[in-house]
Amino acid sequence: MRALEFEVRSGGTIRIDLEKCESCETKACVKMCNATGMGQILELKDGVPALKHSLEEVKRGACTEDLGCELDCELYGNRAIVITLPVSKLDDYLENSSEQPTYLREP
Amino acid sequence: MARLLEYQGKALFKRQGIPVPEGRLVQSVDEAMNAIDELGFPVAVKAQVLSGRRGKAGAIHFAEDRDSLSQAVRELLGKQIQGSPVEGLLIEEKAEVQKELYMAVTADPSTRQPVGIFSPKGGVDIEETADTEPAAIFTTPIDILRGFYYYDAMDLLRQVGGLESREMLTLANLFTRLYQVYREYDCKLAEINPIALVEQGAMALDARVDVDDDALSRQTTLDIDFAEEAGERAATLLEIAAATIDESDHRGTVHFVQTDPDASYARTAGKIPVGLDAVGAGTGLTIMDELVPLGYYPINFCDSSGNPVGSKFYRITKVIMAQPQIEGYLFVSCVSSQQLDNAARGLIKAFKELYPRTGGQPNIPCVVLFRGGWDDVAVDLFREHGISDGRWIKVLGRDTTEKETAEIFDALYREWKKETGGLQ
Ligand code: SF4
Repeated sequence: MRALEFEVRSGGTIRIDLEKCESCETKACVKMCNATGMGQILELKDGVPALKHSLEEVKRGACTEDLGCELDCELYGNRAIVITLPVSKLDDYLENSSEQPTYLREP
Repeated sequence: MARLLEYQGKALFKRQGIPVPEGRLVQSVDEAMNAIDELGFPVAVKAQVLSGRRGKAGAIHFAEDRDSLSQAVRELLGKQIQGSPVEGLLIEEKAEVQKELYMAVTADPSTRQPVGIFSPKGGVDIEETADTEPAAIFTTPIDILRGFYYYDAMDLLRQVGGLESREMLTLANLFTRLYQVYREYDCKLAEINPIALVEQGAMALDARVDVDDDALSRQTTLDIDFAEEAGERAATLLEIAAATIDESDHRGTVHFVQTDPDASYARTAGKIPVGLDAVGAGTGLTIMDELVPLGYYPINFCDSSGNPVGSKFYRITKVIMAQPQIEGYLFVSCVSSQQLDNAARGLIKAFKELYPRTGGQPNIPCVVLFRGGWDDVAVDLFREHGISDGRWIKVLGRDTTEKETAEIFDALYREWKKETGGLQ
C-alpha cells in the first residue's frame, strides 16, 4: 500500500493512504494545509499529497497539528488520513478506573 | 511543583549525609513483619502521603510489639488521609528525642534568592510559629553564587540563643548539607521539621522536599512524574497523563487539575459534577462562579491558553472526558486572539472518536462557547461536521456571556435529565 507517513512534534503520526488520494477530486487536505494560518507542509506531487519539507523539519514543528487535513479529508476527500495522537498514561488511567467514562455509558 | 514523599526526601537527605532514622517502606503486613526483624521495636509507622500535619490527621502511629505493628499497618494502609489514599508506610526506628527544632532552605521571591530558615520551635507548623511567635524564626539570605558555608550557618545559629556550642556545631553542619540538597535537586523547598537533637547528635525526623517543575527534565534520578500543583495531595494518574501533553511541545499550554478527583465534594455539597475546559484562567473562574449557584461543580480546572495547537485540544478533551463522574462538559473561551478554529478541530476529532456511533454527538449535556479569533470558523466547523445537530450539545458564538452560557447549560442539563433519566 502506497502511503505517506510522518511524525509530528507532540509525539504522534499522520498517515495518508495515497492510493485513496489518486481518485480524490478535491485534494482538500492540500488546500486546507495551505490556508492562511495553517501549517503549509503539504503540496501536490504527481497528483497526490507530498511533504514540502524534510521529515525532520516536519517533526520539529513545521506541522502545526491543526488537524485540518484529516477533518477536511473526511468531509470532502476519500477519508485517507489517520492522525494518531496518543496521550501517555491515559490508557493506564482508564484501565485502572473502577468506573467507565460517561462516553461509554448510555443515558 | 513536584513534592516528594517523606521516604523519598529522606533518601536524598541520606545521600547528602544528613542522618535519618533507619527505616523501611512497606506496603503490607508481611513486609512490615520482615522490616521489624531488621529494625527492632519501638518503631514509628508513618503514612506516606503528601499532606502536612500528618500527626494530627492520625497518619502516624507507634508500635511496641508485633500486635500493635500489625494493627497500625492494617489501620493505615488504604485509608484516606486528607483526600489521599495511603499506599505505602514508612516504618522507622523511634528516636529518643531531646529537643525538636526546625530547619529549611527555600526560595524567597521578594529577594530572588534562597533563604535559610531556623527555629528552635520544631515539630509544629512553621506558619503557625510565624503568626504566634515571629521572634522564634531566624533567617539568613543566601547568595546563590557564593554558596552557603558552615560559618554562615553558625552566624545564624548564634542569634538563636539557648543552643549549646556542641549542638550548634552539629546543626551548622547539617544546615550546609540541607543547602546542598536544595541546590543539587533544584528544590523550591528543602525542609526538616522536626530536626531532633538526640544522644548521638541530630537527625531529620521528617523530610519535605519540593522540586521545581521546570527542573524535572534534568532531575532524571528522582523518577517523579510531573503534574500541575494540586495542593497537599499526590498528583492523580489523570493529572500526570494531562501533564505529558505539554512535555515535548511548547506551542500553547494545557493546565489541568482535578479540583475534586472522585467528585465526593460535589456530591456531598449536592452539586452535579461537570468537566471544564477554559481558554483563559480568568474565564475558567468566571464560568465556575456562574455554574456553582446553579447547582453544578466543575470537578476539574483546565486552562488551555497561549494558542495551543489543535492536537493539544484533542488530547485534553480526551483527558477531561475520561473523568467517569461528569454529567456534563463545558468549553468556554475568553475573548482573545487565540485561533479558535484549531480548538474546534481538536474538540471535533476527540468527540468523533469518543462518540463514533453518533458521529461525535455527545450523550451528556455539552456547551461549547467560541469567542475570539476565528470564532465564526469554529462554530461553522461544528455545524459542518454535524455535531451541532446533536440533541445534547449547544455551540455558542461571540455574543454570549459566561452567565448566559451557564444558564444555557443548566436548561440543557434539565432537559437531558428529564428525558433520559441521566447516565446509567
Ligand atoms: S483530501 Fe484526502 S483523499 Fe484527497 S488528496 Fe487529501 S488525503 Fe488524499
